[in-house]
Amino acid sequence: MLLKIKENNQIAQNVWEITLAGQFPYESVQPGQFIMVRIGRGSEHVLRRPISIAAVTEERLTIVLRVVGEGTKWLSKQSVGEQLDVLGPLGRGFPLPPSNAKVLVVGGGIGSPPLYLLSSKLQALTPDLDLVLGFRTKSECFWTDRFSQLGNLVITTDDGSAGRAGNVLDAVEGMLQSGHKWDYVYACGPQPMLRALQQYFSETAVQGYVSLEERMACGVGACYGCVCRTKDDAFSKRICADGPVFDWNEVIL
Amino acid sequence: MKGPDLSVELAGLKLRNPVMPASGCFGFGREYAKYYPLNQLGAVVVKAVTRLPRQGNPTPRVAEVTGGMLNAIGLANPGLEAVLNHELPWLAKQDVPVIVNVAGAAVEEYVEVARSIADSGLAAAIELNVSCPNVKAGGISFGVDPGVLKNLVAEVKQVCRIPLFVKLTPNVTDIRELALAAQAGGADGLSLINTLIGMKIDLNSRRPVLANKIGGLSGPAVKPVAVRMVYETAQVVDIPIIGMGGIATGADAVEFIMAGASAVMVGTANFTNPLACPNIIAEIRDFMLENGIKSLDEIRGCAL
Ligand SMILES: Cc1cc2nc3c(=O)[nH]c(=O)nc-3n(C[C@H](O)[C@H](O)[C@H](O)COP(=O)(O)OP(=O)(O)OC[C@H]3O[C@@H](n4cnc5c(N)ncnc54)[C@H](O)[C@@H]3O)c2cc1C
Ligand SMILES: Cc1cc2nc3c(=O)[nH]c(=O)nc-3n(C[C@H](O)[C@H](O)[C@H](O)COP(=O)(O)O)c2cc1C
Ligand code: FES
Repeated sequence: MLLKIKENNQIAQNVWEITLAGQFPYESVQPGQFIMVRIGRGSEHVLRRPISIAAVTEERLTIVLRVVGEGTKWLSKQSVGEQLDVLGPLGRGFPLPPSNAKVLVVGGGIGSPPLYLLSSKLQALTPDLDLVLGFRTKSECFWTDRFSQLGNLVITTDDGSAGRAGNVLDAVEGMLQSGHKWDYVYACGPQPMLRALQQYFSETAVQGYVSLEERMACGVGACYGCVCRTKDDAFSKRICADGPVFDWNEVIL
Repeated sequence: MKGPDLSVELAGLKLRNPVMPASGCFGFGREYAKYYPLNQLGAVVVKAVTRLPRQGNPTPRVAEVTGGMLNAIGLANPGLEAVLNHELPWLAKQDVPVIVNVAGAAVEEYVEVARSIADSGLAAAIELNVSCPNVKAGGISFGVDPGVLKNLVAEVKQVCRIPLFVKLTPNVTDIRELALAAQAGGADGLSLINTLIGMKIDLNSRRPVLANKIGGLSGPAVKPVAVRMVYETAQVVDIPIIGMGGIATGADAVEFIMAGASAVMVGTANFTNPLACPNIIAEIRDFMLENGIKSLDEIRGCAL
């Protein structure tokens, strides 16, 4: 699908927000799903890049990306009016909790964007949404205003330049000690963060869902490039097609 | 006016057109069936099948390089039983010939898997992936030694009641020697090329990007090498050749046919564009129309 760039703005250090419009099945998007974006216009780049859907309306799609290499750099430089070649929505998103469940959402850095779409759906289901987002430093924080409208937001930075000093796990521990309780935890971010959460809640009844990342080629489940190990299956799961969201009891992180 | 005839005959197989996805780039067909009906293809070629399920190599196991990609999937597949019980029965309903890529770590494994697939009646042909390390020979690939290759092909041929294609590795000094060895072993056709061995180093981590360190190079970057190898092979063998390596357009496919290929396979291009195969078929048809070509026989091997 060819989608037109409506906006492309830098919103934090190395972070861009791109809004797209055009023919797309907007109404079918599940929080946690992603798109595969083609890079460049010739045959120099043969692999698309996976980017999460951060927000969606009836006619717009928003992605947030951090520039880490050639592909994301190219995307950050595309002008308004230009078209992006996009596949999606792809993958299986976050299963939503029953209404009135107590929910915690945890994001690490550039893992936060899909949690915005998730949180905007959760807001209608749960009166009391706790959100913890971790960044390295103040200049890398983004969308904190938007997130704070969806729930009780706690920001952490490694260097203490914004919000609480430390990582998201410290913040989650602190909240538990001051009496917070959750039935569901949703998380996206670096693998060590997800692993720490998985271990932290392993002996509890808390139901958790984590969104995983891996380098992808096809993005649709055909190449077996993006696998992760699971506890039960003899054959690994494909993050792009069986995930990217998994029950944290299912996967070995 | 009657349109151009894209059909080809390949070692007894009748294909609607010469375009099929390359093994490992199309899973077992289910994912791309969401994008178009598989019966538009000449045939479907599935991921390598081994006797037992394989997890493959640790990740990251794919990486992009200029004009191509590296992969070190490590023959991950659900294993013979799952393929026979779940994948091939589904494919059999798609109204398209199915070619099963077979891999193994020993001659006996190739023989067992090829026999079971051929006897199942669910495959039109077998493609032998001989790039795999031969465990008994210290991990050297079956496809680099003419004697070893000829023996492997001959053993598999004995139990294989359907056409047998041998997929050659380009990581050899002279592809012609291996092509002739496969033909002497009884191959009904040849597919070439598999991936070229490559590496990419991440400047930030100062380490190879792939967990396996080395991986197979594919995509437009390998096309001139592949065309040359098809050309050289076509000069010496009598059996049909399926050409591949970097095909992304109808023009690329025609180039391989002019170099002597009877049909082509499309790998990496499926990742760039899920509609790559149908587009290539349409572009071949357009090329034939524009150039007054009625049948691909008119241009096959014309550059030789
Ligand atoms: C399901 C999914 C959703 C994603 N959603 C987003 C998103 O919403 N926003 C966003 O900014 N990024 C997201 N990513 C990561 C994004 O796909 C990569 O950052 C991007 O592919 C890098 O491309 P590049 O060409 O810029 O970098 P490359 O040139 O390919 O790599 C440059 C550097 O980036 C690192 N890198 C490459 N790929 C990844 C990766 N998948 N994860 C972590 N590091 C990587 C490499 O180690 C390398 O050092 C997502 C990834 C997945 C799998
Ligand atoms: C991700 C990936 C997986 C592959 N898996 C297999 C395989 O299982 N068996 C095989 O014979 N070739 C395999 N190949 C090689 C391709 O079938 C093909 O020979 C090669 O990629 C060259 O074609 P291309 O440039 O069009 O991709 C694989 C290639 C890629 C990129
Ligand atoms: S990227 Fe190909 S299977 Fe996930």
